[in-house]
Amino acid sequence: MTENRDCTVAGQRELGEDYFLLQVAWPELANQVCAGQFVMLGLPDIGEMLIRRPFSVARTVASEPGRAPCSFEILYKVYGRATRAFSRLRAGAVVSVLGPLGRGFWLPDESEHDRTEIVLVAGGIGNAPFPLLLQQLGPRAQHVSLFFGGRSREDLTLLSWFRERCQVITTTEDGSEGRRALVTEPLAEKLDDDPNRRRVVLACGPQPMLKAVAEICLAREVLCQLALEETIACGFGVCLGCVVEQRHPASEFERYVRVCTEGPVFDAREVIL
Amino acid sequence: MSPAVRTAVDLGRGLVLRNPLLTASGTFGYGLEFEPFLDLARLGGIVVKGISPKERSGNAPARIIETPSGMLNAIGLQNIGVMRFVQEKLPALRERDTALIVNVFGNSIDDYVTVVEQLEAEEGIAALELNLSCPNVEEGGLEIGRSPRSIEQVTHAVRQRTRRALWVKLTPNVSDISETARAAVSGGADAVSLVNTYVGMVIDVERRRPVLSHGHGGLSGPAIRPLAIAAVYQVCQAVDVPVIGIGGIVAARDVVEFMMAGARAVQVGTANYNDPAIAAKLVDGLVEWCAAHEVADVNQLVGAAQQ
Ligand SMILES: Cc1cc2nc3c(=O)[nH]c(=O)nc-3n(C[C@H](O)[C@H](O)[C@H](O)COP(=O)(O)OP(=O)(O)OC[C@H]3O[C@@H](n4cnc5c(N)ncnc54)[C@H](O)[C@@H]3O)c2cc1C
Ligand SMILES: Cc1cc2nc3c(=O)[nH]c(=O)nc-3n(C[C@H](O)[C@H](O)[C@H](O)COP(=O)(O)O)c2cc1C
Ligand code: FES
Repeated sequence: MTENRDCTVAGQRELGEDYFLLQVAWPELANQVCAGQFVMLGLPDIGEMLIRRPFSVARTVASEPGRAPCSFEILYKVYGRATRAFSRLRAGAVVSVLGPLGRGFWLPDESEHDRTEIVLVAGGIGNAPFPLLLQQLGPRAQHVSLFFGGRSREDLTLLSWFRERCQVITTTEDGSEGRRALVTEPLAEKLDDDPNRRRVVLACGPQPMLKAVAEICLAREVLCQLALEETIACGFGVCLGCVVEQRHPASEFERYVRVCTEGPVFDAREVIL
Repeated sequence: MSPAVRTAVDLGRGLVLRNPLLTASGTFGYGLEFEPFLDLARLGGIVVKGISPKERSGNAPARIIETPSGMLNAIGLQNIGVMRFVQEKLPALRERDTALIVNVFGNSIDDYVTVVEQLEAEEGIAALELNLSCPNVEEGGLEIGRSPRSIEQVTHAVRQRTRRALWVKLTPNVSDISETARAAVSGGADAVSLVNTYVGMVIDVERRRPVLSHGHGGLSGPAIRPLAIAAVYQVCQAVDVPVIGIGGIVAARDVVEFMMAGARAVQVGTANYNDPAIAAKLVDGLVEWCAAHEVADVNQLVGAAQQ
């Protein structure tokens, strides 16, 4: 169940310039959160941060292997005021957290899993929800492919962690890692390679990438789920600030759906980007 | 909580709230969404999202953007309409042990009358609050709340049709808020609540256009607090009905500040997003403040800073 709590920062690690991995202690959340769900993160003093910021839960962490997780991680890039403030947090600091929030990715169940290939597409920091997804898949993760693109190799955070767990295909715009291309290029090739294979594509990243991924998948009738971003103020459905337009609303009144509540993950056929 | 501090406030027409803390319309959903975080019975009351005759889908995104110490919104008054409100929300809300205030808006006198008439037969509503910050289709789109004459007309029309406590919510986007407050009172308002949001705009300098799809939006949050305090202070000198203070409350001392400016009760808005339990915490904070300052009754604060 969604709760609002002040939590202790268990640690923070810098992953190259402007990328951080923040670990927050909250066992109950770590045990129930699903990949694609998010939390609102703020500072305990409302005077320092009026509007909290949304972040995907990137991973959960146990105190020792085999134990239930006791904390969760947020993988983020420094953009502006809030993320810069978070980047200065150290172990022992207190953050205010609301979560878990939203509807995450929905995965083929175990019986169907052998027949449905899971394809992940991440652009830059859009890789954030995928470590948790791979954790939740366990050994099945090795059959997953991750198409991971960025401007440069510095944008491909946690790359070796991903490589240990699934098939990774990298692209960069400057060619510093993997193929010099947009991530959608090898994705389209993959889908065309074996067009009759049953697949589901899960994508997270900048809007233009999501748009391109949706087009590629819709044109090939491949199931596709998109993790969308909109400005979030409350995160739990009450401000109505975070909407996107539905493709087939049941009525004029239902034209917009809330990213924080009906999403952030949507079927690509449901929304207009 | 210190039992020594008396917190009940009288807002007229027999409506006594257990404490002065209310939640502001549009920032507290239909109230029920906040139950995982706080006990609604701790609050003086809740003001639910504005209701119109028909459901509305609202504006295209982007609808919100953070601003220095505040936020700008142009939600477009998305709501489920009075029929569905009565069928889907009211049955649960009236079971709650808190004063329920229904915020009403429309684009014509008829719209307000329609909603109020449909609510009149329903049990469990403590007061109506009229949001007049909408364009009036009958007056060429001029905002009702900017014209004293329209305010008086709408208030009067509603007054004829309700036995309930009637509050008029004032927009601060006028040259003289005392004048619009007086118009509401002469139309029959039992109390006035202020302020609604200030008109604002943020421009995306890379895209060279306003961030919000609607262009301008309504500014709320601590950024507007000194403006709202000044408005409350001024209106309290102009009218004799209770004044409900709204604008940028995030802490107990902000509540005290509004009350000292003359407000009998207050509404918390944007801060609910940051902490969905804040309204209940502010009740405790207000009592603690009073206890620490040897104030036995919160009513002693009302207008304390007025000269
Ligand atoms: C559901 C969801 C999950 C997200 N998960 C992650 C994640 O795992 N890792 C990560 O690095 N980023 C994530 N983001 C984006 C992250 O929320 C923004 O980068 C962050 O809010 C920027 O705040 P800032 O103050 O540093 O930047 P600002 O200077 O405020 O703005 C920089 C940019 O961030 C975006 N932004 C600002 N405020 C908000 C807001 N209230 N809600 C949403 N976006 C905003 C805007 O696009 C803006 O242009 C997610 C966003 C959403 C909606
Ligand atoms: C997202 C949002 C939606 C709002 N919707 C309404 C509304 O439907 N009706 C209304 O009378 N006021 C509405 N308001 C205004 C608030 O009730 C309040 O007057 C204003 O936000 C100032 O208080 P604050 O600074 O504490 O937020 C809205 C404010 C926000 C931020
Ligand atoms: S962020 Fe408030 S409704 Fe989604």
